[in-house]
Amino acid sequence: MSIQRIFAIVIRHIYVWPRSMERLMWSFGWPFVDIVIWGVTMSYLQKSATSSFSFVNVILGGLILWTIIWRTANEMAINFLDEVWNKNLINVFSTPLRPAEFILAMVILNFIKLTLTIIFMTIASWLFYKFNIIASFGFFLPILFFNLLMTGLAFGLFVLALILRFGVSVQELAWSLVAFIQPFSCVFYPLSALPEWGQKIAKFIPSTYVFEEMRTILFAKSDLIAKNTVNWSNLWISMILNTIYLTFALWFFYQMFENARENGRLIKMQ
Amino acid sequence: MDVLQAKNLTKKFGKFIAVDNISLSLKEGEILGLLGPNGAGKTTTIDMLLGILKSTSGEISMFDLPFEKNKVKILKQMNFSAAYVNLPWRLTVLENLYTFARLYEVKDYIGKVEKLIEEFKMTKLKNELTLKLSSGQMTRLYLCKAFINDPKILLLDEPTAFLDPDIADFTRKYILKRVKQSKTSVLFTSHNMPEVNEICDRVIFLNQGKIIAEDTPEGLIRKIKSCKVRLFFASDTKRAETLLNNFNYKFWPDNKDTIIELEEKNVGQLLGRLSLAKLKYTQITIDKPTLEDFFIKIARKKI
Repeated sequence: MSIQRIFAIVIRHIYVWPRSMERLMWSFGWPFVDIVIWGVTMSYLQKSATSSFSFVNVILGGLILWTIIWRTANEMAINFLDEVWNKNLINVFSTPLRPAEFILAMVILNFIKLTLTIIFMTIASWLFYKFNIIASFGFFLPILFFNLLMTGLAFGLFVLALILRFGVSVQELAWSLVAFIQPFSCVFYPLSALPEWGQKIAKFIPSTYVFEEMRTILFAKSDLIAKNTVNWSNLWISMILNTIYLTFALWFFYQMFENARENGRLIKMQ
Repeated sequence: MDVLQAKNLTKKFGKFIAVDNISLSLKEGEILGLLGPNGAGKTTTIDMLLGILKSTSGEISMFDLPFEKNKVKILKQMNFSAAYVNLPWRLTVLENLYTFARLYEVKDYIGKVEKLIEEFKMTKLKNELTLKLSSGQMTRLYLCKAFINDPKILLLDEPTAFLDPDIADFTRKYILKRVKQSKTSVLFTSHNMPEVNEICDRVIFLNQGKIIAEDTPEGLIRKIKSCKVRLFFASDTKRAETLLNNFNYKFWPDNKDTIIELEEKNVGQLLGRLSLAKLKYTQITIDKPTLEDFFIKIARKKI
């Protein structure tokens, strides 16, 4: 592993970030629009609710935490696709850069950009709706963050491997595939709200457990349930599932990378 | 000393054989031309030598090290430029070069980049976004990138395609200078035959994935025995054609001239016959065979 090569890839994408309107929109524009729309909608519905519990907090909490998966999965594939769109893929992979260094660079890059997005969303939700994600989740926040980051990474790597296997004709998956797990992740509603068949699928998705516990923490904060009811086993299950999926995604990526080297797709892609 | 050796290299895509059992070597400080018609397997060979395409069979070694097992170590000492690859458009000239200098782990890369930018006369453009560069400026940037790590082996795939003659000339001269200065070995592909003739020490001809000729450019040209004699007959063109027909010369009209293709040793005999027949020509040019003639004959399988 070479720190200099990893840094080269990270900084190359950081250079582009402020110059790219679409990237700024993904990092700050769309999350801001989401915060405003969902916040206003939930504030309106809250007025007609009988419960004193803040639904705004559940929705905004879900929204901010879902952004971790969404942005991570997108970043992994889109930064790779950026090399394809720029016809720079051969240049990059004809340097001594190893695939592992490229992936690590993507992880670091994503972590930097994601942290800034989450800080931005945290400030926006606090300014507009007085929802403080740090105070709400406390020391659970890094645990939830790390688990969702792993889910996003697993998905991102899986999509990246599919692009290596099927070429740019499946690049749409970079944006869309992760959306298919959102309904089963129970971001905005409890697992029990899903039909029985949906619940069975949801149990195989690591983020489901995280969002269940997110709600538990928020309920406990509102004194709706006992303070110490966080189900640690759920967080462990999520972690174990994430480890399994991430290992599989890494293996799949390496297989597809070697496969692309063998059948020339790495070259034909651009 | 060979810095690169490829033995029995084959690349198959399904049933299609792109490169068919070729072996080649590159000496230190040598410029080796890899020529052939489109689809001959030149780019596939380069891609395998860069490690971005896996060979179906065969072995590649560089600096006496097996390539696959020592990829990182070897790639640090190589570089590449091609007409069909770009650099990120939204990065400036400096940012692009810094990125690749870091990827190749170049020591004191800021100084190195400054020096290259100066050599390639790009100082005024260093803070320009790459997308704003003209194609000539872009090629100079690609060459800066190609020399950023002082490569011992440089693979250039049609580096002067799309360039105007002035910049193409600058590029060739720069490559020759670098080869002389630092003994860089270059594998060079081009469809520009005079260019290949000018800079290559040795040439390999590929056709349908196979090596069909290998020699110095002069050696390959010598394989063509015929030359072209261009004559301008002020009058008596009809009588001249009859004579040429009678002696079974291969000839054809070209504007007002007549071109006769024959073996170089028979030029004297032709001129003697014209003189005996009192056929007067006012202009004569003898075109010696070129590498382009060899290329065309090879491509049309006439050799």
